[in-house]
Amino acid sequence: MDRILVTGMGVISAIGNSVDENHIALVNGKTGIIKGGGNFPSRYAGILPFAEVLMSTADLRARLHVTEPGVTRTTLMALHAFNEAIANAGLTDAQLTADDTALVGATTVGGMCLTDELYANTHGDHENIEYVGSYDYASVNLFIQSHYKMTGVVNTMNTACSSSANAIMYGCRLIKNGLARRVIVGGTDSLAKFTVNGFNALRILSDEACTPFDENRKGLNLGEGAAFLVLEKEADAGDKKVYAAVSGYGNANDAYHPSSLSPGGDGPYLAMKSALSNANLTPADIDFINAHGTGTENNDEVESRAMLNLFGALPNFASTKGFTGHTLGAASAIEAVYSILNIDRQELYPNLNFKQPITGIGVQPVVAYKPAKINHVMSNSFGFGGNCTSLIFSKA
Amino acid sequence: MMFYINKTNCISPQQTFGDIDIEQLHASVDNKLKVLEPPYPAFTANAIRRMSKSTRMGCGAALPLLADSTQPDGIIIGTQVSGMEENGKFLNQIIEYDEDMLTPGNFVQGTPNTISSQIALISNNKNYNITHVHRGLAFENAVIDTAMLLNESPQSTYLLGGVDEICANNHTLDTLADWFKKEDCANNDLYKSNTNGSLSGEGAAMFYVSNNKTNALAQLKAITTIHNTDVDVVKEHIRNFLLQNLPQGEKIDLLLSGENGDKRALHYYTFCEQLLDSGTPVARFKHLCGEYPTASSFALWLACNFVSGQATVPEHMLKKAAKVSALKNILIYNTHKTAQHSCMLVSIP
Repeated sequence: MDRILVTGMGVISAIGNSVDENHIALVNGKTGIIKGGGNFPSRYAGILPFAEVLMSTADLRARLHVTEPGVTRTTLMALHAFNEAIANAGLTDAQLTADDTALVGATTVGGMCLTDELYANTHGDHENIEYVGSYDYASVNLFIQSHYKMTGVVNTMNTACSSSANAIMYGCRLIKNGLARRVIVGGTDSLAKFTVNGFNALRILSDEACTPFDENRKGLNLGEGAAFLVLEKEADAGDKKVYAAVSGYGNANDAYHPSSLSPGGDGPYLAMKSALSNANLTPADIDFINAHGTGTENNDEVESRAMLNLFGALPNFASTKGFTGHTLGAASAIEAVYSILNIDRQELYPNLNFKQPITGIGVQPVVAYKPAKINHVMSNSFGFGGNCTSLIFSKA
Repeated sequence: MMFYINKTNCISPQQTFGDIDIEQLHASVDNKLKVLEPPYPAFTANAIRRMSKSTRMGCGAALPLLADSTQPDGIIIGTQVSGMEENGKFLNQIIEYDEDMLTPGNFVQGTPNTISSQIALISNNKNYNITHVHRGLAFENAVIDTAMLLNESPQSTYLLGGVDEICANNHTLDTLADWFKKEDCANNDLYKSNTNGSLSGEGAAMFYVSNNKTNALAQLKAITTIHNTDVDVVKEHIRNFLLQNLPQGEKIDLLLSGENGDKRALHYYTFCEQLLDSGTPVARFKHLCGEYPTASSFALWLACNFVSGQATVPEHMLKKAAKVSALKNILIYNTHKTAQHSCMLVSIP
């Protein structure tokens, strides 16, 4: 079987509107978490820190030349990243519309980003109905499909915070099973009153910039963004620039609690273990882990334990949530781009805001930028419902 | 790629759970076909109280299939927006309490992967677990995922399901978007209607599947999905699907048609009928289950029961008088909102 290679990437996040801009911020340790960006209406905008894409929805629409009604911010960010990825991979129009090109995208908020509009439409406003067809998750990928007249397999996945890792995994499996020759895979989520209030009600939003894996962590910051990868078979890549190979993936369920991980971290452990086995690698082969590392009390402790159980002595690891916040359905795709940059540029980016290891665990993430020899990177994503997925990217 | 369906359960607006009786048609109320929820002996009162309706019926249909079976190697669910009723409650809290002092229960229950994860939690299943949410092809993508899993791991077994619920918010939004009828329409008059929209429906259909032919109810022989509104493209695609997948010398013995009383969708179904031998019996199912994004999972449940002889095709489903006998191959064709289409070929094992 041909290897599956990454031939194109696109990303938009709080630290930049392209892969290059994101890379510069990662190298320079420049966070995107701020108070008061103001692109989404909520009483917490400006009070709590968020990692916002500092471009208004109207500007995004204009920049992307989208004139159709009913297109949400979630979809616009997805299209932005999608466009960069397909241009980067040099996909032709004929390839985009071919029936062996698949699109697999993830989102957890979809059209629910329009919290106020949805409330109005479900409570008597029957006049302003521009968005009534876009309330679901699939609206994002159905727009991209119809925008580019795609005819291959199109799918949308939502497994909460591991959604886009599952989209990447699913895209690889479509290729391996012969249901697609090339896939465009990723995820998107925009900041919304809906999710902000959900996480705030759970009391896991920090009032300061998040500090993943730190003893005194206070919770997560929400962020927004989108990222897509173009995956092609080795035989089709020709003389294209190849960023990395997707060499393994694993999906498992923690089967413990709707919104927190089991103390032993069964789900995370099994996801990582199954990714290694799928990649035919041993723990010692992994040079770096892009951890889920949200900065919550529960995640960072459980993830640390699960990594220790599997790896014994940990390889270099870091969470990039201190740059982008937690972008939910986009997180795994954005972090896939960063993991691939680790490989392509042979360097590591810091886990921001870390000061003191967690008592009783004592693991210490990478805290400063450094060049490093990197062959294999594992990227972790764990979501509500115990949905855990790990991906492994390797030097091609 | 294909698989066998070894067991199936369905909670629907008709008597499909436990003792099956689809001869007697349960009527729609206020243009809605709501599920007949059975008692759920497997859950404690507290667990039921916390569950959204879609989680309740999803788990309710799934758990009996798992009771005396090997632990499945994965749980694969298709749903458009299960949990939206819980989402709606949280949305109302946000606006009505002005984003202050909210309780998170509805938010957590509102994420659509709650069904697959609750089944995993209750049955202590730590294997592959996924939720496909691709609107009218959410269940079909779950089927494709399952077929790939069985291709990758032929000895495994999987739990596959399709679930969606009627809730105030999706009913209102889809009515505003012109997908549900605005005038009163009873389900036994659905196909006489010549207006936009259908009746609102819901349900949960679960399938325990494997490559094991022994005692199987049915074989899912092939599946295809289409994103297009051009009727000629759709017709050509279905023609190719049949050419590629129907064994030579065999014919479609029954078309299970997703016709739904929406005048904008009718010609897709008519064209599909024209692709088959004249005289091929056509049975419609949306007056039983209503229109919802994963209604094709209800059709697959019907097809399993028909090919296995566990149920016969009731008169009220037949589009025109026809003799339905010796069912070997059933074609399910469905379109959701005319932009998403699917075909499934279901055969005797």
